[in-house]
Amino acid sequence: MSRLTGTKTEILDGAGYAYSFDRQVYMNRKTKKAFSVEFVQDHSEDQIRKYIREHTDGLEWRFYFNLPPSEAVKHELECALG
Amino acid sequence: MPLARPERTVEDRLREEYFDLLPDIRRVVDELEAEVKHCLVPISLRLDKYERLVVTSRVKECESALDSLRGRQEGATFDSGRPELYSLDNLNDLAGVRVLAFPHSRLVEADRKLRERFQTWTADPVRGYDENDEPLALTYFGYCRASDRIRAEFQIVPMLTALFWEVEHSVIYKPSPSLKGVARSLEMQQRTRDVLKGLKAFEDEFANLIRRDPLAGKKKKKKRK
Repeated sequence: MSRLTGTKTEILDGAGYAYSFDRQVYMNRKTKKAFSVEFVQDHSEDQIRKYIREHTDGLEWRFYFNLPPSEAVKHELECALG
Repeated sequence: MPLARPERTVEDRLREEYFDLLPDIRRVVDELEAEVKHCLVPISLRLDKYERLVVTSRVKECESALDSLRGRQEGATFDSGRPELYSLDNLNDLAGVRVLAFPHSRLVEADRKLRERFQTWTADPVRGYDENDEPLALTYFGYCRASDRIRAEFQIVPMLTALFWEVEHSVIYKPSPSLKGVARSLEMQQRTRDVLKGLKAFEDEFANLIRRDPLAGKKKKKKRK
């Protein structure tokens, strides 16, 4: 299991993100955003806050990954995350 | 009329690969366990009553291997459009041997012996929780003579940590679905760190006392005669 600092986890928890253990992402169904563990590890707390605030239309999932996921991966994640 | 063949998933392909590799994995585990035990015989023969040096081995199970490979992908998801990206030969621990040692001085000795024997293997220690912490376990991976298709791994772990992991791994590290909330709990993660620190403190204090015990030295001298 990847290790994250408590602060980043608290920022995400506070913004309504739940952790999906199976997919190793923090996800928010309301805003349809998902952050991979790797992405969270490699970005600062301020950057994470900025991405959380980033406006989306909320119609399609937005994935914050270090390597942009392929269409097939996006599709599978969208099905899994609901 | 032939039946339509359902599309094979990445997982299907990997399962096929696993069972193709399985005879090699078994041979490698047997060879590595024998080599490690043989290498440690000079230490085992000199152990005091309270000291422990135990060698265990395991063949990684098929689903565990798949989970391990899947977990390395960002988003823990295989790209179904590119199955050629994935192979179990990327894993270092299909064949694994573990050395459990107590006290720390025996662990250091075992590590020295094994590094001499497996000089070309790559070190990949299990990090501590904090940057300045000592590694939780010393791990090395490489190839055995029994097969050049898969890598094997051996790990040298303080016995107290290894025994704690026996319980902790099924709760925190690789939890069942009903326990995933426990694994995510920051408080539980903190307790885990506390336990590991406590076990280390126990070992350190024990080592200090043994060093200061005048009888320990006399016993050794007697043995030498």
